[in-house]
Amino acid sequence: MAANFWTSSHYKQLLDQEDVDVVPSLDKERGLTLEEFKLIKVHMTNYIARLAQYVKVRQRVVATAVTYFRRVYVRKSMTECDPRLVAPTCLYLASKAEESTVQARLLVFYIKKIYPDENYRYEIKDILEMEMKLLEALDYYLVIYHPYRSLTQLLPDAGLTDLTHLSWSLVNDTYRMDLILIYPPYMIALACIYIASVLKEKETTAWFEELRVDMNVIKNISMEILDFYDSYKIIPDEKINATLNKLSKS
Amino acid sequence: MSHPGFDGRDDLMGSKRVADRYLKREGLGEGTYGVVYKAIDTKTGQTVAIKKIRLGKHKDGVNFTALREIKLLKELKDPNIIELIDAFPHKGNLHLVFEFMESDLEAVIRDRNIVLSPADIKSYLQMTLKGLAYCHKKWVLHRDMKPNNLLIGADGQLKLADFGLARLFGSPDRKFTHQVFARWYRAPELLFGTKQYGSGVDVWAAACIFAELLLRRPFLQGSSDIDQLGKIFAAFGTPKPSQWPDMVYLPDYVEYQFVPAPPLRSLFPVASDDALDLLSKMFTYDPKARISVQQALEHRYFSSVPPPTKPALLPRPPKKGESLSTKPMDFNPQEGPVVLSPPNKLRRVMVNRDGLDGLVAEKVEGGVRQKGEDTSQSKNIPMSIDVAAAFGSKPPPRPTLNSADRSHLKRKLEWEFEPE
Repeated sequence: MAANFWTSSHYKQLLDQEDVDVVPSLDKERGLTLEEFKLIKVHMTNYIARLAQYVKVRQRVVATAVTYFRRVYVRKSMTECDPRLVAPTCLYLASKAEESTVQARLLVFYIKKIYPDENYRYEIKDILEMEMKLLEALDYYLVIYHPYRSLTQLLPDAGLTDLTHLSWSLVNDTYRMDLILIYPPYMIALACIYIASVLKEKETTAWFEELRVDMNVIKNISMEILDFYDSYKIIPDEKINATLNKLSKS
Repeated sequence: MSHPGFDGRDDLMGSKRVADRYLKREGLGEGTYGVVYKAIDTKTGQTVAIKKIRLGKHKDGVNFTALREIKLLKELKDPNIIELIDAFPHKGNLHLVFEFMESDLEAVIRDRNIVLSPADIKSYLQMTLKGLAYCHKKWVLHRDMKPNNLLIGADGQLKLADFGLARLFGSPDRKFTHQVFARWYRAPELLFGTKQYGSGVDVWAAACIFAELLLRRPFLQGSSDIDQLGKIFAAFGTPKPSQWPDMVYLPDYVEYQFVPAPPLRSLFPVASDDALDLLSKMFTYDPKARISVQQALEHRYFSSVPPPTKPALLPRPPKKGESLSTKPMDFNPQEGPVVLSPPNKLRRVMVNRDGLDGLVAEKVEGGVRQKGEDTSQSKNIPMSIDVAAAFGSKPPPRPTLNSADRSHLKRKLEWEFEPE
């Protein structure tokens, strides 16, 4: 799996942090700051994960959906494409691309259940229309690699299988950030293993040295993850709503 | 529209583009999931085939099979794989733009005016295996290999197409549906209902295509799954557990009466020793022991004489609606749009076999009987099927996946959850 990542479209589409951390100009005109832009992405990641729990798809589908979502907003503004519609549509598209289709009507049903608020209300036809737009925005690149597979290969190699649960949860949380757009998945996996091993006080220096990976990159990713945990403990709903309202007002 | 770097993107990608970039020509027929028509790409002067994807009837958005094909073809760029040039929405439908291919291997095999030399066969097989090797390297199983899906371009290059059934593979415990491939190209492990299979299924199908190139007719034409296994065992002998230890554990395994294998030479009287050796390695029963595509490409068959014919020199059927003297090589894309004027005709239609086909097949069978020691083939059939009669008479229509198969497949795939 890792061997062909290097020839994949995912690898070719990796971006620099500076290119990801840009508020689309249409959104900027409406006063959206970078912090708020990131906040909406965190919130929508949570939304996708919640919807996924209802429609019962596996973690891989969630991860792919979130990756689509984040890729879209490198190219499109939230003013043009409402994240409240893009998020469920990403889950819809990812479920197809990952071979476990979820019906649009099921998504619409659970959207209403999670958010009775009419700002979130979308019908089947809205999702299907957005699906086409998403495909275009993604330039039809749908195959995404994730850190999970690397994780299951690396942990036994490091003799750290008892850290599986912790590092798996850490990987889940990395999708609340844009790491998947910037780093190869195995590096994200390594960063999560690194954090887990430090937290559980496991000695891994020798193992990491043997891997011959750039430890500076791994440590940078780890720091980013830890910073993220510090800054996004709770997101108050009012703040999300106020931010989203900025976009809907013209 | 002031998003940096994306100004004008919508205009460029918008619906006008069909008119702007592609000049629509005649229809080419009904594809797996929508109509296909020919067009000229004004940007490159290239002739292209555009698939218009029907939207699902049941509010399920972009067709699942089409999406799968898009997903995989965006990752696969190889001289022996059909190129997805572009995709765009137009009037609510998704359109896929492929390079235009003027023929396919089935048309070559069926065309009685074409003589295929051993070097030609080698060339067609090599291109097939090269395309397949690239897929397998990228962890993609094609799962629908048959002559009809091997398209041939104006330059003679053969390209794998129709990835609507293809899937990414990789984890050994991943479960798949066994309802893939047109029956005649289905590997024995699939016929026995395995759900954990690998690249070997494509190798078996490629071997069937190799045999078909040699015989000029489909090699193992089963009329049902049971009959298909019967045909396979009649050709290669009923497998013994020592040959294929996992066989008896397969979900749909049934015991077949034992028949010995006739000499392979008797089935392919004119093939070279190297060709037969490769063929037997590709037709190995145990998928674990079956030769890989890469190993097949390194087989001495490809390095021994005669060398494979250069693609541009391969015999091909005349382009439909064109005079025989027009060489496809004369087409120059630099000259801009070229108006080709064949009537509306299906490109990949089944060629109706005429009496001649049956006659030739019968002759081959006759040759077999004279040459081989075992005079009556029907004695060898484990089931009660008369192979000679089946081969000699008009063969059954080439089986393809019908819509019932497809919806069954789709249902199964929807419920396939992978461990992750």
